Amino acid sequence: MSESKFETVSALMDNDQQNIEELDRVSEDEQLAERWENYHLIGDILRDDVPDTIVPDLSAQIAQAIAEEPTVLAPKKSKSRELFTAAKAKVVQLGKPFGQVAIAASAAGLMIFGVQQTNVAENDTVAPIPKVIKTMPFGGVADPVSLNYQTPDREAQKQAYIQQQRRFQALLADHNQQIKLSAVNKDAAKEEQKVEETAK
Amino acid sequence: MKLISSLLLLVSVSLPTMAMDNEEAESWIVRLSESLNQLNFNTSFVVVKNNQAEPYHWFHGVDGETGAELEILSLLNGPRRDILRRGDVVSYIEPELQPYSVNSPRISGPIPAIFSQDMTTLVDNYEFNAVGRSRVLGKPAQLIRIESRDEHRFGHWLWLDMETGLPLKIALLTRKGQLLEQVQFTHLVISEQPAESLQQLKQADLPPILALPQAAMNNFNWQIDWLPPGFKKVNSSRHRIAHTKQPVEFMLFSDGLVEVSVYVNPSQQSQRPVEYVMNGATVVLNQVVNNVEVSVVGKIPSNTAKAIADSIQIKASTAP
Repeated sequence: MSESKFETVSALMDNDQQNIEELDRVSEDEQLAERWENYHLIGDILRDDVPDTIVPDLSAQIAQAIAEEPTVLAPKKSKSRELFTAAKAKVVQLGKPFGQVAIAASAAGLMIFGVQQTNVAENDTVAPIPKVIKTMPFGGVADPVSLNYQTPDREAQKQAYIQQQRRFQALLADHNQQIKLSAVNKDAAKEEQKVEETAK
Repeated sequence: MKLISSLLLLVSVSLPTMAMDNEEAESWIVRLSESLNQLNFNTSFVVVKNNQAEPYHWFHGVDGETGAELEILSLLNGPRRDILRRGDVVSYIEPELQPYSVNSPRISGPIPAIFSQDMTTLVDNYEFNAVGRSRVLGKPAQLIRIESRDEHRFGHWLWLDMETGLPLKIALLTRKGQLLEQVQFTHLVISEQPAESLQQLKQADLPPILALPQAAMNNFNWQIDWLPPGFKKVNSSRHRIAHTKQPVEFMLFSDGLVEVSVYVNPSQQSQRPVEYVMNGATVVLNQVVNNVEVSVVGKIPSNTAKAIADSIQIKASTAP
């Protein structure tokens, strides 16, 4: 059977056989294909029609390379892309809630600021002085704060500051009041003087 | 020879111009007080100090029948603060106190009262100079500088309307030229007749006149050894400070332009280092020395206030 097979190969090579079925059979059969290849190679050598280097079974190598190419390169690419988008998605997912928190926090900050502002404004209408009062030590240097007693010290300082502001405010108000009232006494004093002078 | 003659010329030119400057300034000052007393005006101004602005509305007029001056000065922001004046009665309407009136020929507000009186009485301590012209409130204005002759006071700069002599801007400055407080007028209308609100003031019932105890010769067991020249005692009393209920012994001094208050009271603290604040040009200074609290308030430099406070002596005879 094998002999007949090889006969068909040689017959095909000599173009004696025109049967397409036979040709298909040869190309499908590995052994026959190899024989077909070798016969052609012998023929080429005999006719001195060969390249400088002969790579036997080059087709197999190419076929293998082709077969490997897409399976190696294409998935790699897609995998990295998937990773990339996954990472992005993660960032977005992480970022979104944080952003919302941030916005909420800033809104809260604004609210607090607003409340403070209105507080200041309300205080302003009641007592216009405290906001403008800035205290400064006379020498221009503040006393150093002891680290060991920071908390009670600060509390005391705060109390002292409030006391001080009250004192300044009270004095300023009284000063303005006394000027209003003293206009009377100024005239009274003058009149007294006049009376004294006329008495003399 | 030429040099001498030119020097002579310089001297002869510069001396009269200096005198001229003062004369010019004096005539402007006289005009200012006349205008403030005689014109019917309706004006607004803003007091700017410590990044704050206080707007006021000010009416002034002269009653055609009686010749009495009528005045309304209102603070426009915050709780109502109005000052009304009809002749020699001035009424103060304030949120802290029941409305009251005092017998006085002038109101005590952001504009120094001396501006409507004889300002030439200030020449011992202040120098008057007419220095230049500029545009203020859309009008040509003459700048008059009232500079202190010593370093213990602030200077006042006045921009006066060249047409009417009324103030358009007032600034308080240190001797180095640092601006502390200013009054900027924002609108000024002169009319033939007093404004409608002043006509109403003519018939209005004013609050009762405060019966003030006559300033008795208060004998305090302390004395002030130093004050800037020209400051005279205008009042003294024992009273309680309204906000803190602190009883104090009090003296008020004036150099004609600015007032200085001095408060003395015993303190529970033995010592407290000096502290002060500036509210615009007004200094509030406070210290405790040997259980005695001393406070000085007024439109004076902090160094002056400190010097006044330090000069206070407790009389040994009555000291505990």
